[in-house]
Amino acid sequence: MKPARFEYVAPASVDAAVETLLAANGEGKLLAGGQSLLPLLNFRMARPAVLVDLNGIKELSFIELRGESVVIGALTRHREIEHSPLIASRLPVMSAAMRHVAHLAIRNRGTIGGSLSHADPAAELPMMAMFYAARLTVQGPAGRRTIAAKDFFVDALTNCLEPEEIVVEIEFPIPQHDGWVFEEVARRFGDFALASIAVSIRRGQSGIEDARVAAMGVADTPLRLEDVERRLCEIEIDVRMPDRFCEWVRSSVSPNSDLHASGEYRKHLLGELARRALKTALAAKGDRR
Amino acid sequence: MSSDRRVQPSDVLRPRHVGAPIKRTEDLRLLTGRGEYSADRKPDRALHVAFLRSGQPHARIAGIDTAAAEAAPGVVAVFTADSIADDFKAVIPFSRMPNYYATPILPLASGKVRYVGEAVVAVIATSRYLAEDALELIEVDYEPLKAISRAELAVADGAPLLHEAAGSNVLLAREFRKGDVAADLKVAAVRVGGRFEMTRKAPLALEPRSYTAEYEKRRDAITLYTSSNIPGIVRDAISESLGLPGHRLRVVAPDVGGSFGSKGSLYPEELLICIAARKLGRSLKWTADRLEDVSSSSQAFAEIVDAEMGFDANGVATSLQADVIGDVGAYSIYPWTCGLEPVQVVSFLPGPYKIGSYRGAVRGVATCKPPTGPYRGVGRPISTFVAERLMDLGAKALGLDPLEIRRRNLVRSEDFPYRIASGIIWDKTGFLECLEAAAEAVGYQQLRLRQADARKDGRLFGIGIATYAELTGIGSRIAVAPGMPINTGSETAKISIDSTGAITAAFGVASHGQGLETTLAQIIADDLGAKFEDISVIQGDSDEVPMSTGTYASRSAVLGGGAAKHASFLLRDKIKRVASHLLEANQDDIEVFGGQAVVIGTDRAVTFRQVARAVYSDMKTLPVEAREELSASYTYDPINGTTAAATHIAAVEVDPATCFVKIHKYVVAEDCGKIINPMIVDGQVHGGVAQGIGAALFEELIYDDDAQLLSASLVDYVIPSAPEVPVMEVVHIESESAVAGGFRGMGEGGTIGAPAAIANAIADALSPLGIDVSILPMTPERIFKLMEQARFNSRGKADE
Repeated sequence: MKPARFEYVAPASVDAAVETLLAANGEGKLLAGGQSLLPLLNFRMARPAVLVDLNGIKELSFIELRGESVVIGALTRHREIEHSPLIASRLPVMSAAMRHVAHLAIRNRGTIGGSLSHADPAAELPMMAMFYAARLTVQGPAGRRTIAAKDFFVDALTNCLEPEEIVVEIEFPIPQHDGWVFEEVARRFGDFALASIAVSIRRGQSGIEDARVAAMGVADTPLRLEDVERRLCEIEIDVRMPDRFCEWVRSSVSPNSDLHASGEYRKHLLGELARRALKTALAAKGDRR
Repeated sequence: MSSDRRVQPSDVLRPRHVGAPIKRTEDLRLLTGRGEYSADRKPDRALHVAFLRSGQPHARIAGIDTAAAEAAPGVVAVFTADSIADDFKAVIPFSRMPNYYATPILPLASGKVRYVGEAVVAVIATSRYLAEDALELIEVDYEPLKAISRAELAVADGAPLLHEAAGSNVLLAREFRKGDVAADLKVAAVRVGGRFEMTRKAPLALEPRSYTAEYEKRRDAITLYTSSNIPGIVRDAISESLGLPGHRLRVVAPDVGGSFGSKGSLYPEELLICIAARKLGRSLKWTADRLEDVSSSSQAFAEIVDAEMGFDANGVATSLQADVIGDVGAYSIYPWTCGLEPVQVVSFLPGPYKIGSYRGAVRGVATCKPPTGPYRGVGRPISTFVAERLMDLGAKALGLDPLEIRRRNLVRSEDFPYRIASGIIWDKTGFLECLEAAAEAVGYQQLRLRQADARKDGRLFGIGIATYAELTGIGSRIAVAPGMPINTGSETAKISIDSTGAITAAFGVASHGQGLETTLAQIIADDLGAKFEDISVIQGDSDEVPMSTGTYASRSAVLGGGAAKHASFLLRDKIKRVASHLLEANQDDIEVFGGQAVVIGTDRAVTFRQVARAVYSDMKTLPVEAREELSASYTYDPINGTTAAATHIAAVEVDPATCFVKIHKYVVAEDCGKIINPMIVDGQVHGGVAQGIGAALFEELIYDDDAQLLSASLVDYVIPSAPEVPVMEVVHIESESAVAGGFRGMGEGGTIGAPAAIANAIADALSPLGIDVSILPMTPERIFKLMEQARFNSRGKADE
């Protein structure tokens, strides 16, 4: 289990990295944290001619408040996001989700740009990008462009990037909500999710004014359930609401079966998590779990 | 304790090492990265081996084109079955069992491949990278044959034959009988039964299999460093296969990072690396990557058991019958044969219970999967799972408490020695004592009350008990594997004091995590009268003792420990004889302790160093005839072996929303006789239970209908990690054992009891829903399906 031969290049800037990708003629691959790529190289499932190591590009690593958004540099490690007070106060659902991202050693190396680009349908950060309606800034030979998260994730392990494009930073608009929950079930803590749901709401006088619902582990990409969000805002809050929410969430997914869980079980699990999540979100106004 | 030792007045004051929780001496090097594993060997300009493995489950090899690989950069040689055909004799896993076909063990697939992962071609190159590059250039022309993915398919009419020469896919068949089961079942007050299954499991040691063959030109000799727990058996087998005498073939198991049975058989790669080293006159290295280790090391369980048990109206088990089909994989393993795992299931099924009549039949069936082999517990995890499920089903049918039905059926102290139907004899062991101690430690009555409360709240809370007995420290009268011709009944200790006064104790046993360097030194310290820190234990090296087999089958404390005791006594007597000259005292007035010989009741003493100097260096102090070399060797054979037993009790809760199982409480009460080191015993129990939890809840090798392994990585093959293993309480019952030192083996027990205890606890938790547990692991998916089915059934009933 050794990788096939490749050239190794460590550019010092994004411009130079794009140049290197261009020169590699579609045979280049970006190395960030390497937590998914290195096993793929060792299995020879990925065999790039040129490995472009981004780890020397220091300006890609940052977390900052920019207007009504939090912006995170693509090379920012999971561990930095997990422990960022700014993320904890402005993007609390993401802060909670980070605890579920694999294990400590992986969080020390893995990066947000790498995780989003890898586009695993059962990974937390792609789900958070959908949940917060993030915008990804990418740089290619023609300069920079911005892509909405919902357009970025095309399929399982597939994003919409051109071969010479690099994710540079990700902007997360801050929702003005007062109740939120992140729920995930994995076989073992840190494993890929069997099912996960994130719920965030703002309560008004008579009901829910605004809601966000995202799910993962139940489709080929993470899902934002906008229909369910709308319906949450249309009804009054009562004791039956979590049950109805559970049904709406269940009926909006049709997960596939795999080695770890059947589609029916994932659907059941997501429904149960949804019910539990909404109960918590409604009960804990501004409070976190 | 030993009867041949005179009790001295000072005994009460003297600290003893046996029984003390001494920290493992090997841990300093292992935990600070100073251990040396097979892969750490750095022979001069070693070459690296990579194997091309079959992607076909079953195919004829029509041709292999290695020309491009041979021409690839860095490649020194490419070997196929044809190109090494004259360099070895096939190793045959022989057995005297009737109805058994021995599949020969070859270094590389010849003529056919029979499972995905079987080694077909070996590339030898200057680096592993280049070797793996060259693998991609090899063309194997396969003619695919029909795959056999399940045991039931292998015995179906018209099934393709895996081994044509065997004439059948049934590689072994055996039956044990006692009394008239059919008649007893007919008159039984209650009959319970079912079809039980334990799926295929990977032993999954932390260190993958790893071999370094160091070639010595001068003598045409090989030293094989192997991650094996049977270096002695490997030495003898390769010696025979390659025609290399033992003094030109040294096999060393250096530090070994776990085995759990997966390193307890001879492997084709061990043969290949020695053949290639000799052919090329070079040193070679190979370490399995995780994929190779999971897909080509011996695997565990894979049995389906149809079983039935009859009880009289008092809850006494009168009769038991079982038909077992074992999916043994494509080949027998050496030396244990493919009978090892499945035959043990029927050998041990009656367990620690007095059951009037018994019939146990087993078939071992060839499929397109890697061989099954020894795995911690061998056969008994499933025999215990089945017997303990039947006990609980019987208790339920009779309205008895699970604890009570076991009280009524366990072999009682007055019944020992007790012979069970398969011929196994239980010597006096604390079966009932373990049951009662576990019940007390777990607070059984309280726990039942807690369960009643939980059930009122609609919670799924369950309690599970498992009792079992195992045979450990097996001597020469019993074959570890059925009908096996090699001797596994003895072990040798060779203890010497050199001219510096240092003590070296050499053994053939091969610790791969058991802490034998510590425990054997504890025994020697006490029985030789040495300082613990002066003793160095060497083990796992075929050059150190004339014959050995290794560490497996819970034998090393009993056999290695017994040998250590006897060799220590012999050497202690030599020390006394020398000291009697030096101290001018009668031998009988000298006692040896703490690294010195002392005249009892005086301050006259000589240290081991002074004794050594007198014998070896200072030629003026002793008469010539008194200069005995300070070494002693003893080969110990416990003849029959000894029983070990335990009761496990688990309390679990099933979350109806997630279908996950949470273990709230776990207690083990075990009897391993005299405890050498309680810290190590606890560690063995904890580790064994953790593996049992894996078998009960997580681990499963899943093969599809084409016999392709789907769960080949650690993402898909899920093992328990620290958060999934609960804090457990271990209670020790130290009942007397007849073997030297009173030790009983205990390295496997945790894995035997845990699957059954957890299965019973889950069944108990789910019993309000009318759900039974008959297959392991009970994954959330399986529990979900059972609960859905139960919901469907109860809806159906409500509609009626």
